[in-house]
Amino acid sequence: MKTTLERHLNILDFTLASLLRRKGKNLSLLTIYLLVIFMLASLVFFVTALKREAAIILEDAPDMVVQRLVAGRQDLVPTKYAEAIASIRGVSKVRPRLWGYYYDGLNGANYTIVADDDSVTEPESAMIGSAIARSRKVTVGDLLPLISYEKVPLMLQISSILPAGSDLMAADLIVISSEDFQTLFNFPAGQATDLAVTVRNPKELTTIASKIAQLFPDSRPILKSEILRTYQAVFDWRGGMTVILLSSALISFIIFAWDKATGLSAEERKEIGILKSIGWSTPDVLLLKFWEGVVISLTAFLLGVVLAYGHVFFLSAPLFAQALKGWSVIYPSFRLSPVVDGYQLAVLFFLTVVPYTTATIIPCWRAATADPDTAMRS
Amino acid sequence: MIELASITKSFNSGRPNQFTAVDNVSLMIEPQKVTVLKGPSGSGKTSLLTMIGCMARPTSGRIFLHGIASALPSQQDQAGSLEITSLPERFLNDIRRVTFGFIFQQFNLIKGISVLENVMLPAYPTGESRADFRGRAEELLEMFSIGRHAGQRVELLSGGELQRVAIARALINNPSIIIADEPTAHLDSKLSYEFMEIVGKLKEAGKTIIIASHDPIVYDAPLVDVLVDMRDGAIVSSGRDR
Repeated sequence: MKTTLERHLNILDFTLASLLRRKGKNLSLLTIYLLVIFMLASLVFFVTALKREAAIILEDAPDMVVQRLVAGRQDLVPTKYAEAIASIRGVSKVRPRLWGYYYDGLNGANYTIVADDDSVTEPESAMIGSAIARSRKVTVGDLLPLISYEKVPLMLQISSILPAGSDLMAADLIVISSEDFQTLFNFPAGQATDLAVTVRNPKELTTIASKIAQLFPDSRPILKSEILRTYQAVFDWRGGMTVILLSSALISFIIFAWDKATGLSAEERKEIGILKSIGWSTPDVLLLKFWEGVVISLTAFLLGVVLAYGHVFFLSAPLFAQALKGWSVIYPSFRLSPVVDGYQLAVLFFLTVVPYTTATIIPCWRAATADPDTAMRS
Repeated sequence: MIELASITKSFNSGRPNQFTAVDNVSLMIEPQKVTVLKGPSGSGKTSLLTMIGCMARPTSGRIFLHGIASALPSQQDQAGSLEITSLPERFLNDIRRVTFGFIFQQFNLIKGISVLENVMLPAYPTGESRADFRGRAEELLEMFSIGRHAGQRVELLSGGELQRVAIARALINNPSIIIADEPTAHLDSKLSYEFMEIVGKLKEAGKTIIIASHDPIVYDAPLVDVLVDMRDGAIVSSGRDR
């Protein structure tokens, strides 16, 4: 056991000395390899974290949202719909929601305005997202003027800043009372943007949805699972688009690595012959080549993954944020909760480390299995 | 003793360009003596050496190691003989590593790594502790007066120094047989005599030495015990114990 370990350590030792001989070539290969792993791992980390974030947020979302359509476009829902829907068997709660968008001419950004009388009890007060606080340079206790549809300033006193942890969804959010909401948008009384429906038994969701559609033919019930699926698809699509953009770099790397790993120069062949002639066996030579492949590819993989982790979870992925987060004037500056998908990392490992190491070993096989004097003379 | 029984080595067998490098050679090589295979280029000396050193297999014939401590005591018969020509490759590696030490015409050192690493190279796959064989390598370098070059890369050394590194490497696993192929081909006369002095010391240390050479400094040296004259793959004359 000790002998086997010593053998591996000794050969690994020689591998490192051997790699240092071609410092420039191996370092450039390592750098490119590392860059590719870094980009791919960043992408994997970012998309996985975003999807998880979205899933966590949607956990608190209502089981179903009911919208009303007029000529195929979303329109306001009369609150009397809520009373009728609440009377459907299996529905536990129906809450009319008031929300909309406000364009802030000062910084050219769109805010999401939500009315919530449970969170904001005082009139003319507001809870705001951290990105708004940053861009408008306001804090708790300050006044945030919004111009109503009647062109009258609505002075909102900031009661709190929403926690940074909820930035992904709440960076551009302003929560106000329903009274202020109606004032701001000149919103008609007895109407809501949509209805949030909660049911007792989630298995009955589709049945209840079809009952609502039957009761109100102009309504459109949207299930929570459908929203979740849309989010997942959007992030997967964005991830896929980025992979396509990266693919040319990937293909170049594969060609480069393949050429480097599979080509066995006359000098390398001679060295294998020398090693064999002084008592190295075929497995010893293959072990040397194996370690050479492993040292390069595993170093690149581990460093790439660690750098990608820092890039995504500590620096909030500046390289990908614009492409993956969506489009907005005020990007949420949130920090994603670290989440690592072991399966995806394993796939990345098997698609990078394993092929490279194999490609390093295979060309040596023939040279290493020949008689030492043949290898030396070739 | 090393016994060669009707050894033939052909290349490209069965093809129009078939070439017989060694033709039905039988020879007994005495232990702890210096045997020189003499002959012009193409006489089959190197081919014979590679087969004795388990680097290549003969096309026909057998090679025996009699009473020589090998890496494979379990494979030896009761009389302590080991027939090496029919052994599987993995056994040949063990024998190459432990029983033989090789000094090549071109030295065959690995460029880009240090002198010390080159000397330690045959010991890496043995599973021996690095500290042990490193100590041995340093001793050998001191013995050949090249200790000060231990950390240098081999390409910075002179021809004579390169050869001493090659000799140190051949001795790292303490083999009982040293095989040298045209060891003075790239040395001037002074260095060639120095090499023969080292051979004398190895002989005194009880090593069996087999040298292939067509350099008179080697085959006329007084310390040579047996001279085997080869031509066209066959032995023309052999013998004369000095």
